[in-house]
Amino acid sequence: MMPMPSSLPTHEANPTEGVPAIELRRLSKVFPGSRAPALDAIDLIVPRGGIFGIIGPNGAGKTTLMSILGGLLRPSSGSARINGCDVFAEPEAIKRILGLVPQEPAIYPTLTARENLEYFGRMQGLSGDHLENRVAACLELAEMSEEADQRMERFSGGYKRRLNMVIGLIHEPEILILDEPTVAIDPHSRVLIHHRLRELDAAGITILISTHYMEEAEMLCREIAIINHGKLLVRGTVPELLALGRDGNLELQLFDAAPADLAGKLKSIPGVDAVEITGRRVVVASEHPDLIVAPIMQMLLADGLKVRTLSFGGTKLEQVFIALTGDHGAPK
Amino acid sequence: MMQNLVMQNLAKFRASVLKEARIILRDRQALILFFTMPVIFVLILSLSLRDVFGDRPGASFPVLLVAQDQAEVGREIVATFRANRSINLALSHDASEAQVRQWLIDGRYRFAVLVPAGATDQAKRRLGEIMADVPLDLRLEKPVQVQALADPALRSDYRKVLEGTLSLALHGIEMKLGREQLEQTLRVTQGERFRGLPDLEQSGLFAPVHGDTVTRRSGGPTPSSVQQNAPAWTLLAMFFLAVPLSVSFIKEREQGSLFRLQTMSVPAWVVLGGKAIPFFVINQIQMVSVLAVSVFVLPLLGGDPLGLGDSPLALILMGASASLAAIGFGIAVAMYARTTEQAAGFSSATVMIMGALGGILVPKAVMLPIMQNLAVISPLSWGLDGFLDVFVRGGGVREVLPEALALLTFAAICHAFAILRYRRRV
Repeated sequence: MMPMPSSLPTHEANPTEGVPAIELRRLSKVFPGSRAPALDAIDLIVPRGGIFGIIGPNGAGKTTLMSILGGLLRPSSGSARINGCDVFAEPEAIKRILGLVPQEPAIYPTLTARENLEYFGRMQGLSGDHLENRVAACLELAEMSEEADQRMERFSGGYKRRLNMVIGLIHEPEILILDEPTVAIDPHSRVLIHHRLRELDAAGITILISTHYMEEAEMLCREIAIINHGKLLVRGTVPELLALGRDGNLELQLFDAAPADLAGKLKSIPGVDAVEITGRRVVVASEHPDLIVAPIMQMLLADGLKVRTLSFGGTKLEQVFIALTGDHGAPK
Repeated sequence: MMQNLVMQNLAKFRASVLKEARIILRDRQALILFFTMPVIFVLILSLSLRDVFGDRPGASFPVLLVAQDQAEVGREIVATFRANRSINLALSHDASEAQVRQWLIDGRYRFAVLVPAGATDQAKRRLGEIMADVPLDLRLEKPVQVQALADPALRSDYRKVLEGTLSLALHGIEMKLGREQLEQTLRVTQGERFRGLPDLEQSGLFAPVHGDTVTRRSGGPTPSSVQQNAPAWTLLAMFFLAVPLSVSFIKEREQGSLFRLQTMSVPAWVVLGGKAIPFFVINQIQMVSVLAVSVFVLPLLGGDPLGLGDSPLALILMGASASLAAIGFGIAVAMYARTTEQAAGFSSATVMIMGALGGILVPKAVMLPIMQNLAVISPLSWGLDGFLDVFVRGGGVREVLPEALALLTFAAICHAFAILRYRRRV
């Protein structure tokens, strides 16, 4: 477990308590020349505190949504409010409390990590000791204190993404928006970013993260919204979403490849509706999976087939995602 | 509150300038290019085009004078060519015509004058026949044939000047020999009553002609190669800075840092100005280095030194206005181009076209009148006119004001477009 740095921002109760962190009303965006809307009448409320995930396949509209929230792109219709303020009517009020971490590292490669932080800190209006302290704190958060004075162009993607994230924290925002922060980075940097996000969550910061890593969303997020083709398909807590995917499947992994007659034998067991076998993986569909577990196990035992794993009644977010989006080409 | 905001924005502006300066200073290769390119251009072009702009036709190549005749005709022609200090003379007394022709074919000489042996005697005999009024068909002597031979690639204006010099010499000889003959005849016919012809050379009919240049202030220096080239290539280099400027802007956009800035409370002028100032400083260093090289280094290499005129303030005004125009152009290109390739391609091509139109690549003086009129649309032409006002026509701030104002207006329009576009991109 990584130590929790003392540098994390904390937020005391403020008068906007009770107002949702983010509120989208019929938010739509149609790009000129494009027939399909990038965002199609999205209604979404992100409550204060916690990590909220937006997941969707490539081209679902995640980055468009993030860009509108960051004030970089005007919606075609509908409204986006952050902390109760309209993103475009009151941009200055929002900019102070919002930290935006874009998908690609938005840094100056020929400047050092410290210079990048100092520059963006100053652009956020920080100065003097406060700036110095925040720069040191952010370097600590990114575990880059020792490399602070080397030019960023010499670093790997992981370091750049870490710096990219902490630049979004330089001014201690109340709300942090991250667009796919862990794409294409090394495991250490990914674990570090996950830790930091949990710590920020614990410190009371509202975090909106877009990702297409399902495990990441499942592991980090309190609530998740799935979007596809610009539409909000579903939102809910992780258990709520997982419940949607429970379809009564029984999934087995055998030690060896399944014999050719196994499918027929399994289908002969009362209550088994369908059997699908690929190599060592066996999926049995049934309306009452609890009633077929025992006879299936007995039959396999009798045939001398050893079972490596058995999962029953459970699903992964990925399955829910694929079922909802119909996108089998979606990333892990 | 308001004052606080201004102070905060000024701090942001300072940080922007510092950031940009760091980025530029770390790109050593680009820096070297920024400063050496204009200096090298000015050195090479000022030295090689010296004679095109100067008043020394023929000086860049030797003119061969073969005086087979060493009496009065040969001597007079040699003296006339020698007196013209802008002609680099190679003298021979015994080269044959065939040899001279071969030298021209070989490219050893590009212009040769051949005074045949016995030219003086032949001329005198011919003159005797003319004075004796011998009918044309009975005259024994043909006119003396002094030959001028030229390489066909020799510029016609050079050739005409050299032929003119030769004609001048021959006219002089004609006059001199005629006068001698006349004097001799009069002495015979008038005997002691003849006191000699009046000396026309001492009391000439016409005053000697010295071409004078017309400037705002009389007696201004004559335009030289370096006076055209130094401001021309400085201006081109200044405007070429629009290429890296626009590319660096688009790179920032591609890297996402520009978008990140747009999510922060950073006014457009801080972002655009922060980028403009370091490039403005580079422009000024470019100008100073080119002027310094033109004033101090060029004469050491045999070139004409640059006369800076006598209004440093006008020079500063022109340098600043041209730089702001160039930077405005670069920023405007960056705001409208989508990719670095687009920005680099468009800005470099446009600068070259503006340079060609504006009398940078080809001096306006040698352009067709229609192209000279078209030059008015090029900001580089305004810049060049302004610099020439100072260097050549002895102008001051008042004289360069129209050009400076034109450049500043161009700069203001470009910056305004850029700011509007920067805001609209949100």
